[in-house]
Amino acid sequence: MSLIEQIRKNNNGIVVAGNHPAILQSILDFDFLSGETEPSVKVCLIANRSTLKLFFGTKEVLIPCVKDMAAALIVAPEAQWLLNLQSGRRVFETTNLFFQLFPKALGAHVFAENVPEKHATDLIALWGDKKIIAGPSGVGILVSGVLKLGASGGVGLAQIAQGKLTQKGSLAVVSTSGGVTNELIVATAHSGKGTSFSLSIGGDRFPITSLSRVLELAQEDSQTKAVVYFGELGGVDEYEIADLVRTKKLTKPVLAYVAGTIDEAFEERMQFGHAKALVARNDESARAKRDALHAVGVIAPETFPEFLEAMKSLPGEVLEDVSASITPLMNRAKSILSTREIVDLESTPEYVSGKKLAKSQSYAFARATLSALLGRDVSDVTAAFTESILTQLIDHGGHVSGAVNTMVTARAGKDLVSSLVAGLLTVGPRFGGAINESARTWLRGVAAGKDAKTFVEEETRAGRLILGIGHRKYRVGVPDPRVEELSRFASLLKKHPHYDFARAVEKIMTGKQGTLILNVDGAIASLTLDILTECEGLTHRELTSLIDAEFFNALFVIPRSIGFIAHFMEQKQNDEGLFRLPDELLFVHSDKKQKKRK
Amino acid sequence: MARVKISEWKAKQILLGEGYNGVQIRLGKKQALSASKKWVVKVDQGIKKRFKQGLVKVGVSAGEAVTATKEWEKKGFTQFIAEPVFQHENNEEQYLSLERVRDGVRLLYTKDGGVNIEEHPDKVQMLVLSTPESILSAETQTGLPHGFLVSLVEKFEKSFMTFLEINPLVVRENGVALLDAACLVDSAGAYFTREWSEDDVVKSKAKHDVEKHVEDLAATTPASLKLSVLNPDGALFLLLSGGGGSIVIADEAQALGAGKLLGNYGEYSGGPTREETYLYTKEVLALMLDSKAKKKALVIAGGVANFTDIKSTFAGVIDALSESAEKLRKQGIKVFVRRGGPNEAAGLAHMRTFLEKENLLGSIYSSVDPITAAMRDAIHFIK
Repeated sequence: MSLIEQIRKNNNGIVVAGNHPAILQSILDFDFLSGETEPSVKVCLIANRSTLKLFFGTKEVLIPCVKDMAAALIVAPEAQWLLNLQSGRRVFETTNLFFQLFPKALGAHVFAENVPEKHATDLIALWGDKKIIAGPSGVGILVSGVLKLGASGGVGLAQIAQGKLTQKGSLAVVSTSGGVTNELIVATAHSGKGTSFSLSIGGDRFPITSLSRVLELAQEDSQTKAVVYFGELGGVDEYEIADLVRTKKLTKPVLAYVAGTIDEAFEERMQFGHAKALVARNDESARAKRDALHAVGVIAPETFPEFLEAMKSLPGEVLEDVSASITPLMNRAKSILSTREIVDLESTPEYVSGKKLAKSQSYAFARATLSALLGRDVSDVTAAFTESILTQLIDHGGHVSGAVNTMVTARAGKDLVSSLVAGLLTVGPRFGGAINESARTWLRGVAAGKDAKTFVEEETRAGRLILGIGHRKYRVGVPDPRVEELSRFASLLKKHPHYDFARAVEKIMTGKQGTLILNVDGAIASLTLDILTECEGLTHRELTSLIDAEFFNALFVIPRSIGFIAHFMEQKQNDEGLFRLPDELLFVHSDKKQKKRK
Repeated sequence: MARVKISEWKAKQILLGEGYNGVQIRLGKKQALSASKKWVVKVDQGIKKRFKQGLVKVGVSAGEAVTATKEWEKKGFTQFIAEPVFQHENNEEQYLSLERVRDGVRLLYTKDGGVNIEEHPDKVQMLVLSTPESILSAETQTGLPHGFLVSLVEKFEKSFMTFLEINPLVVRENGVALLDAACLVDSAGAYFTREWSEDDVVKSKAKHDVEKHVEDLAATTPASLKLSVLNPDGALFLLLSGGGGSIVIADEAQALGAGKLLGNYGEYSGGPTREETYLYTKEVLALMLDSKAKKKALVIAGGVANFTDIKSTFAGVIDALSESAEKLRKQGIKVFVRRGGPNEAAGLAHMRTFLEKENLLGSIYSSVDPITAAMRDAIHFIK
């Protein structure tokens, strides 16, 4: 099977390096209008952000962003393509690394114009034979209806429709110039025959995938009936075409326009827009190259209007006008704040039906809470576990800092919200906030694949506290009953690596001191990770993003808010007036001071 | 962009390092030459056939060398190279060049100096150096001194050279001498090398003010902005977009016999902002208004852009046009437009409204019309 045919059968996942929102949006629009069910762009290498918000159809989607290629491999191991939108300075490094890490990948497009020649020739030496790499410069690769790797065919919705990019046409468009590539794609659509595929080899001196290779692709592809070529003065690429035609390696009709006869109007040879567009020797002039093409039977008209006219006589069936309608996608407005509905405002749960209580779903409140936080419906195990956490964490006595703050504020005459907020403001690294950081610790430990002993040693040496370990009251032999209860959930799972890891760490720690047991924060964190992995199918990346969004903190804040409110109400009902700490609790009095008072 | 010439002095300094005894002389900067030596002094601005143009003096004293540079300065030259004379026989002169090609570095070498190598390809050895082994084998095949080629290629690679010609080269038992050298470097390599800088790039041609302004503007944006003045008294002035599309449109002028009437060539592409397009357009308009041609036309044209926004770039063009609308009208100038791309409909509609209001409208075409349509109309108008 030829490469282009292989691409038509593929799942063409794309890794993007760099950011160009208009190009990326056009790729998603192309995918959607071609009937794909998910975007071909799988992950973007962009520092300092974790997602990129784009439209897929009329819906908004979040494309994951990562810092480096190794992280991209974790998110999109099946990706086949690299769209490199970085500056010329970074092109070599990123492109080379991509092909090292993604050995099955088919190719790439390098967008930058200022790639050093040496870097281009190095990439040719390393990957030129094995991969299809469009560029440096140009607009990339388009396989109609299947793959859009770059700006090829334009970035506007109207352009996707006008160029019939989603319909499989019969003319291969090959061009050194990115702009003219698009001009030709539109022209193939006007001629009715449409584009089968297009590869813009770019105007640089050393295109990584050579013109000859692209023409081979056209020859091998059964969908392609003829080749439409645009070249410029400068360089000797057109002689490659002439050779291929003469040696019958290219037997499909070729229609070519070689631009640059304007150079004949000047006394001095001029450097035109593209790096290669300068006539260094006489055989590099537009006229010489046209003549060479003529000589072997390529259709090479004198003027561009004649060239467009000649396109009509090329073989290929006329496409029916069935291009997907872009109307529903027009006038999309980006969301400014929120991308999803937290609860479905259309549906109201039913509790009373026919003068009787309706049969209620089990763990309904936990379910509703998780649906709001995670944006998905959860399994019974997840719902039950969450219900257990929510219930157990409502309060842990009036001694803790949050409860104290709430009560003191209430006694000062403040309202419910002020008192609640005063309590919540104490939630952090020393109180309540440990679940989140504990989850980060277990996730990191398991992902690193280290044994617990090494892990503990490393953490200790780095001076880091292992959150989720240690209790004031409970110790080995006097277990925390809440941890006992939660731990039973492990028996419902097939695998529980995070819980096992936490227990292994506990074993090492209690070897030093009996109170360094797995505490309730550590147990909740590890089991939540295992349950979300097994029952909800969350990936490492999704779990990391939940930790970054403080989901695990929320599991404490939600129930404990109820506890604080209860403390507030009690204070209001008792109404004992302003709270004041007695002297003996505040100061350690020296004798002298006591005398003075008397 | 692309391959640019650096001064002969800098090229030799890179190749010879500390041992190089040449001196660079620049306009307005004093440079002492040893009075005890005889000197070769040359204009060092990447000019071909210097000898024939009288831009080289051989075997002169320090004083004579200075006098020579003063004379050349009067002709507008600004940069010179002085080297102690190297005594040698004509039959010692050899030719060597290196050029970056697709599969490595191509070496051309001949022991017969003074031949025109393009006319005598049979006398020239051609070898492609791609691996350390291929360089060593080239050393054997050419008979060049041991280590010379290895060091030359290493410096060539390290300093992002793309072309190096040493002609003549003199090889003796105790070493080699590079008498004349021409060197192109890859401007995209500037970021990666400390061997040369923008300052070493020679500017051979005195530029038109407008070209200088556009160059300065281009240096401050990732978009591509280019302009060359062809005929200051031309009749057709071009505001073109896209590297390839702009040539197609200029070709149409040549095909219709109006090539010599082009006042300028250039292009803007790669998504310039409204402000950048405004500044670029202003330069083209200034050039056009100065032209003494009787009937003039402005051609605003380009292919179907991939990602350059037509609405915002045309807004920049309109900003500049409206500043000069009065002057353009007085000179009877008409504007001819053909463009396509993102936001094409809105951009073209604004342009039409503006040109109609200002009475400057020639014709307007969109992506459904041929890319050459506006140029064709403009030529009919001026003829």
